[in-house]
Amino acid sequence: MPRSLIEIKGLLKRFGDRTVVHNLNLEILEGEVFGLLGPNGAGKSTTISILATLIPPDGGEVTIGGFDLIREPFKIKPLIGVVPQEIALYLPLSPRDNLDFFGRIYGLSGALLRERIDWALDLVKLRERAADPVKTFSGGMMRRLNIAVGLIHRPRLLFMDEPTVGVDPQSRNFIFEHVAQLKAEGMTIIYTTHYMEEAERLCDRVAIMESGEIRALDTPQGLINLLGGGVIHADVAPEAAKGLEQAVQRIPEIRSVSQVNGRFYLETTEATRAVLAFIELCSQLGINIRALEILQPNLEGVFLHLTGKRLRD
Amino acid sequence: MLNQLFALTWKDLKLFFKDRGAVTLILIQPLMFILIMSYAMGGLFGADNPIAILVINQDQGQEASRVIKDLATRKGFQVESTWEGRPVDRATAEQLIRQGKRSLALVFPPDFSDLLSQGFTVEKRRTGPVLLIADPASPTQFIEPVAGTLQGLLEKAAFTAMMPRGIDYMFDRWSPQAPLTEREDLKSLLGDRLSGDSAGTGTAAVTIEKIAPAGMRAEKKPDSFQQNVPGYTIYGLFWIVSLLAQSILRERREGTFRRLLAMPIRRGVLLAGKLLSHYLINLVQLLVIFLVALLVMRMPFGHSLLGLIVVSLATAGAATGLGVLVAALARTEAQAGGLTVLILLTLSGIGGSFIPRFVMRPFFRTIGLLTPHAWALDAYQDLLVRGYGFTAVLPSVGVLMGFAALFFLAGLWRFRFD
Repeated sequence: MPRSLIEIKGLLKRFGDRTVVHNLNLEILEGEVFGLLGPNGAGKSTTISILATLIPPDGGEVTIGGFDLIREPFKIKPLIGVVPQEIALYLPLSPRDNLDFFGRIYGLSGALLRERIDWALDLVKLRERAADPVKTFSGGMMRRLNIAVGLIHRPRLLFMDEPTVGVDPQSRNFIFEHVAQLKAEGMTIIYTTHYMEEAERLCDRVAIMESGEIRALDTPQGLINLLGGGVIHADVAPEAAKGLEQAVQRIPEIRSVSQVNGRFYLETTEATRAVLAFIELCSQLGINIRALEILQPNLEGVFLHLTGKRLRD
Repeated sequence: MLNQLFALTWKDLKLFFKDRGAVTLILIQPLMFILIMSYAMGGLFGADNPIAILVINQDQGQEASRVIKDLATRKGFQVESTWEGRPVDRATAEQLIRQGKRSLALVFPPDFSDLLSQGFTVEKRRTGPVLLIADPASPTQFIEPVAGTLQGLLEKAAFTAMMPRGIDYMFDRWSPQAPLTEREDLKSLLGDRLSGDSAGTGTAAVTIEKIAPAGMRAEKKPDSFQQNVPGYTIYGLFWIVSLLAQSILRERREGTFRRLLAMPIRRGVLLAGKLLSHYLINLVQLLVIFLVALLVMRMPFGHSLLGLIVVSLATAGAATGLGVLVAALARTEAQAGGLTVLILLTLSGIGGSFIPRFVMRPFFRTIGLLTPHAWALDAYQDLLVRGYGFTAVLPSVGVLMGFAALFFLAGLWRFRFD
């Protein structure tokens, strides 16, 4: 049974009058790849900044590896690695110089440092370009080195913030393989992304955040099951909505119905058949459908269903 | 922690030497300024900004008064014979020069009139000096116009004083029966005598003697290199402000500071590493400039190597501290660039890097003391030009360290890592 590496209880963070993380409770297990999804402003970056010891929380308790985040940040820092969204490297220097510098900051030196540099360069397949200035690299190569720097001290917990943004497909596959390899080696990874297929493919569990709170937390399949066979969003005139709501419940493929001001949320067992039946019903009742959207049973659909927003909003 | 400090410093030094623009800014720019300005600077002191000269007239006769009156009518000179309502004596003049309030004083000796009006027939003529007391740090291009003008006035005064006696002498010697050859001899003789600056001995009756005030060691007059090397070196040193501020802001923008803050490194160590690397760059810069000045320009470096080192360390400290302050005030690298240019040109201007402070208006001379440039320049000139030793520059070093602490603490107060 895996132990929990991170325990978060009642986490709170405010910026001025604005509460950006509100009563967050979470447990992340050792060796788990944990996905954190949410639109901009959802509070996921703030949460990661707190967990990475970059900013202090305003309330709640956090322990990482058994150490208290507020009282013992310098016991936590060696345990964690951060792969930021931006290319946080020294571009005029070579990959070897960058890894050497960051390795020394982690207290590595001598033969161990040289061994780790070679290991990291091999891991991200940059050994051949180890002496070239990073500024001459492609975006994908820079991203790979960005990951290597986060791994130079072999952390127990790795934060990866949008690691595939602006990356070519080949480098993206490299990154997926690295994550899988690191997971196989027992590393715990907290992964944020806008790409649902990445979360579905890589993450053991996914939390969907909005307005500083967790809206849903489960395995990717568990979240997808929330949508059943798919979800239909439809808009009709509000005065026609009440009668339609009762009629819609008689469609066999529709599992549940909710309606606010003429906007229908229909969970189905099979979306295509359900939507055809819904259109036919509206036609029979003489109700004009103003908008119609089918959310397929995937994480993107779950996200839209739960938050009313697309990930890139 | 020391390993981290070393890693941070080494990383920034590598980044610096890979950046050709930064190397040019820090090493080449001040050297170019020194070379070009040393050769090209001239005509600095115009009538709009007259040279103030203290005058001490000890002459028992009238000749010195005539010379002083004549000097006062010349454009470009402002003659002062009183200070705070009292006639200036030599001790007061020397004190004012030592304090940097004035740079030049003329002392006319008691026998000035007698010296000028000695008879032509005197076999053994007396000679004597008019003293030109000047701060040894005053540049040659500042002293020489004064000395040249004074020389001309003295010759004119001598001629005026001697002419009546010369005419008497001529009539005593003249004879209508004299043959042509004797007349030619007489013309030749009068030509010599009436030139005014010799009196039978081939030497001037009154000479100009340039001396330093009592208490100041009179070194060789500074040449343009000695004048410009300290000024432009200090100007160049403070460009580290731009380099440091931009380096900090770049790390902030590119996220490397944020990345480092997630690592087991204290913020103080992170900032110290940044400062140490740029402090070392400043010292490398100083070493290069001084080596070029020593080996290429053959500039003498005074008597106190320890003093030079201490002044350099303190000046580099003030420059690095100012870099932290600018990095704290600016939000972007572009802002830091603009702010640096504004601050550095102002400080360099009123601090005396471009033109000596003593030719500035009194208000600017005073506010110049609010700049580290003025104190650093004064300390360098004490060592390089005035011939002072280590202890003489300690007050300036103290002020420079005060500037360093003030800039650093003010910067730290507003500093953000991300």
